Amino acid sequence: MRVPLSWLKDYVEFDDTPGNLAERLTFSGTEVEAVETVGGEYPGLVAAEVLESKPHPHAPGLTVCRVNSGTATLQVVCGAPEVLPGHCYAYAPPGTALPDGTAVATRTLKGIDSHGMLLAEDELGLSPDHSTLLDLGPASPGTPLAEILGPPETVFHLEITPNRPDCLSIIGIAREVAALYGTELRLPGFDLTESARAVEDAVRVSVADPSDCPRYTARVVENVRIRPAPLQMRRRLALCGIRPINNIVDVTNYVLLECGQPLHAFDLELLEGRRLAVRRAGTREAITTLDGEQRDLPAGILTICDDSGPVAVAGVMGGANSQIRSATRTVVIESAFFAPALIRSAARALGLSTESSYRFERGVDPAGVEWASRRAAALIKDLAGGEILRGVLDIYPHPVGPRHVSCRWEAITNLLGVKAGPDEIAGRLAALGLEITERTPRGCTVSVPSRRRDIEREVDLAEEFARLHGLDRIPEPPPRSLVVPDADDTHTRATFALRARLVGLGLREVNNYSLVSPRLLDTFRADDPSSRIILPHPVSHDQSVLRTTLIPQMVVTLGRNHARQAAAHAALFEIGRTFSPGKEEDRLVLGLMGPAGRPPLDRRRAVTIPEMFLWLKGILEALLPANNPSRPWGLSPADIPFLTPGTAMQILVHGQSAGTAGILAPNIAAEWRFAGPVAVAEITLEPLLEDFRRIPSFSPPAQYPAIQRDVAVIVNESVKHEDVLRVIRAAAPKELASVELFDIFKGEAIGSGKKSMAYSLQYRSAQRTLTDEEANAFHAAVIEALRRELAAVVRES
Amino acid sequence: MKAVEIEQRQAAALEEIRAAADERSLDALRAKYLGRKGLVPALMKELKALPPEERPLAGRKANELKVAVQQALTERRRELAEARAHPAAAAASFDYSLPGVWRGTGSRHPISSIIERAVEIFHGLGFTVAEGPDIETEYYNFDALNTPPDHPSRDPQDTFYLSDGRLLRTQTSPVQIRYMEAHPPPVRIVAPGRCYRRDTPDATHSANFHQIEGLYVARGVSMADLKGTLAYFARRMMGPGVRVRFRPHFFPFTEPSVEVDFSCHACGGKGCRICKHSGWIEIAGAGMVDPNVFAAVGYDPDEYSGYAFGMGIERMAMILYGINDIRVFYENDIRFLEQFAQ
Ligand SMILES: [Zn+2]
Repeated sequence: MRVPLSWLKDYVEFDDTPGNLAERLTFSGTEVEAVETVGGEYPGLVAAEVLESKPHPHAPGLTVCRVNSGTATLQVVCGAPEVLPGHCYAYAPPGTALPDGTAVATRTLKGIDSHGMLLAEDELGLSPDHSTLLDLGPASPGTPLAEILGPPETVFHLEITPNRPDCLSIIGIAREVAALYGTELRLPGFDLTESARAVEDAVRVSVADPSDCPRYTARVVENVRIRPAPLQMRRRLALCGIRPINNIVDVTNYVLLECGQPLHAFDLELLEGRRLAVRRAGTREAITTLDGEQRDLPAGILTICDDSGPVAVAGVMGGANSQIRSATRTVVIESAFFAPALIRSAARALGLSTESSYRFERGVDPAGVEWASRRAAALIKDLAGGEILRGVLDIYPHPVGPRHVSCRWEAITNLLGVKAGPDEIAGRLAALGLEITERTPRGCTVSVPSRRRDIEREVDLAEEFARLHGLDRIPEPPPRSLVVPDADDTHTRATFALRARLVGLGLREVNNYSLVSPRLLDTFRADDPSSRIILPHPVSHDQSVLRTTLIPQMVVTLGRNHARQAAAHAALFEIGRTFSPGKEEDRLVLGLMGPAGRPPLDRRRAVTIPEMFLWLKGILEALLPANNPSRPWGLSPADIPFLTPGTAMQILVHGQSAGTAGILAPNIAAEWRFAGPVAVAEITLEPLLEDFRRIPSFSPPAQYPAIQRDVAVIVNESVKHEDVLRVIRAAAPKELASVELFDIFKGEAIGSGKKSMAYSLQYRSAQRTLTDEEANAFHAAVIEALRRELAAVVRES
Repeated sequence: MKAVEIEQRQAAALEEIRAAADERSLDALRAKYLGRKGLVPALMKELKALPPEERPLAGRKANELKVAVQQALTERRRELAEARAHPAAAAASFDYSLPGVWRGTGSRHPISSIIERAVEIFHGLGFTVAEGPDIETEYYNFDALNTPPDHPSRDPQDTFYLSDGRLLRTQTSPVQIRYMEAHPPPVRIVAPGRCYRRDTPDATHSANFHQIEGLYVARGVSMADLKGTLAYFARRMMGPGVRVRFRPHFFPFTEPSVEVDFSCHACGGKGCRICKHSGWIEIAGAGMVDPNVFAAVGYDPDEYSGYAFGMGIERMAMILYGINDIRVFYENDIRFLEQFAQ
């Protein structure tokens, strides 16, 4: 909301700079977003009267005028649509400058000399309006513009929180300023002289349901003359962002800005049956609103109707069929209180937010409805002449009185943590217009006017006191520590520790959106499309499904980095949430591309699939270390559509599937044109956190020396490391302390389709030192089993 | 052998030892001089054959030779061992400027860094972490937080609703309700998490973002406690000189409600690009828990009071690291990520 400083000063006295005022408003809850200076000193610019005007002979749209600048009669060419003889406009003579610095000189426009310019509001820096010339109204030619327009105006741009509709007006802000500076609020005085004829004789009013419209008033002014409002009123409207129309409409808008009560003026002669009925729209009703739009009204929307149908959308916008015209003679002034929720849904349904709907949505003051009506009638009579009919039609079946709220001094100071005495608290509340009706040593009761619907409870009074007392006066004691005995956040702490381990392993963390494109999920065929949670109203199709897996976005991330040449190799991870009906699950995803596991001097060689796979597996081994015997895990080949067959693995933890790992399938990798294999793995977070919660139990290191024996087996290439291990472990006695694969060799020397795998075995007894003979016997049993079960050729050492 | 001769032999022996190329030659030299059939035992035997007047001098010289040879052998052995231990270091061809060989450096995402730092600070004050689901009910996200039924934040234009009427939480505040429902007072929690608003993405809006929520409920908690705690947090998070200030505001679930500004860590409050030349940066929304929220979870508002606050993680990261577009957090460009190796 915009508040011109000079207008504010009509209602409240205070002695401070605009900057300080802005600061005090902001720190008492009325946020000043900006302070703007509008207008200027206008050196050399004067009022000029147009003596005659005629169309430019060679340029349609231009007008050639003779103007009286007070000191001379000059010829000026002008592009405005309407230049009326007898009217005074702002005039910049040659040799002067516009407020934006543009120099004004004599120019020739299509062959005709123009000595200076007639100005529109934007050229004067008053508003962005360039549609018409600024009409100065009655002014004597030659009067300096600064004298007519006054000094430059300071305009505050305020942000009003939704709980304070009472601040959506100049008087509302003046009330705050008065409370802040301890001065008096001055409401405008006016004289309401009514004629003998009663309003009841001119118009009839009805409200179908008072809960839709708790208060509706109508007043009538007859014999008005429509003309422009005075310059000052038009300027104030423009400063507040409202376009002046004519004296009647401008008065309704002026009073709206002044006191926050939206008004509407109807031309009584255009009301069929001279009636205004507040009722919900039926089916298939329509109206052309004042903005010229033909609108079908949703059934149930609140309307104002005459005998033929809707003449206004209640609280939102009037209809063209009853609007004030230049021929209007009789005006009905509507001032009402409409149910906020109805106006909000109406404005939303029509996609139309107006100054009126904005205020009705937040709630106007039901007690202020009638004052605004009187104020508008008096102003109309002043500016448009005519007679105000006697009385007002006021349908207000359940008047809203003030509310009484009590508070305890101690409760307020304890809640805020400040020291303040009863007089100080009572004084602050009274300054806000909260009348103290009862006061005891422990507290008080205040009468809350109906405009402050936000004050209902003791804490609300505490807030009122706090914001006037000053939040900067609340002390900052050092934090009090408090241990909550059964608080447990090991899950989060374990997640942090897991992240630290991943970072320590050299992986980089990424963060992707929770919302993904269904097409991307379809590409991977990683989920069951029927169990996706789809947003009915997404912002875009690309972000319309809650992710069911983290892998696709990880691949996109790798692909994007590859395409941007951000990095030739990458090892990335994300810890994120996945969604399925009834379940939210936190998971870890890993993604590798390029020679991520190689030292710097060995990165040019192409990365092979087995190599890439083992890097990925190495990370999993570091995350699921073997030193936790209570959590067995392993990989099991599986059929996974987005992974390369043979590398596609299910991750089993405790024998249950906990995720997938493998090399991205070539057809999917092709979409991102990766240079080599890409490895991905996804695993549920829970088993990974076990290590960080588990308390390890110590077992003493072996006391007796171990005896080492090596064995190399030549086996078919199809034999796996795990097959060899299984045979060794089954054949060896309990004294087998460890088995380590230390070499794999393939070559002509051992024949094609064969490989040699060399293992180092350690034998050790927990009870005594083993003899060579014992170790030899153990080893012989192992060798025999390898020969027998794997058809292996064994080379011992 | 005369004393003079012994001296000459000593000089020759030391020269020979110093020139020894390896351990094996040293062993041979040791045998030659000190061994059972070596020079020193031979000299000792010869002493007896010398005239008595020459014996003392020749004996002293023979002893000197023995000690000198022993020292020379030890010294040369040490030299050879050193050269063997650092052959390349000794060589001019060693290139210490080659790239190091160890696995790459990892990095936390800046959002995680901020969350972890914030949690660590609040941990030190006795706060523990609480979490909640991303998919929430209207009850937890709005109703229980005292949000009126027609409040604009419930508008489907601003909130992602699912077809079953649930929604993607617009704030971390529902965690407050869930936690208080499950735990009697006192409570002292922080709740970091992902939130969603139906915004069109731009430099300051993203379909999802992160918040951290704080809640402290006990007997006698005041707004001064809130201010003191946030002032402590501000100094720990942004730097020792950072101050806080409160501006009155409105939130449905707190009363009184405030917006919290931190003085600009970058310019010390003098005004710069980061603080838009105001010296202050809006960081948090906060206030005293509204009695209606206590009523929703069955706490007695006459016995307990509490404060709550919420801060935007991306916003804090943008301010702290000087980032001006929220979208970079979700683009995951490695050249961005690698700047946060911590
Ligand atoms: Zn700054």
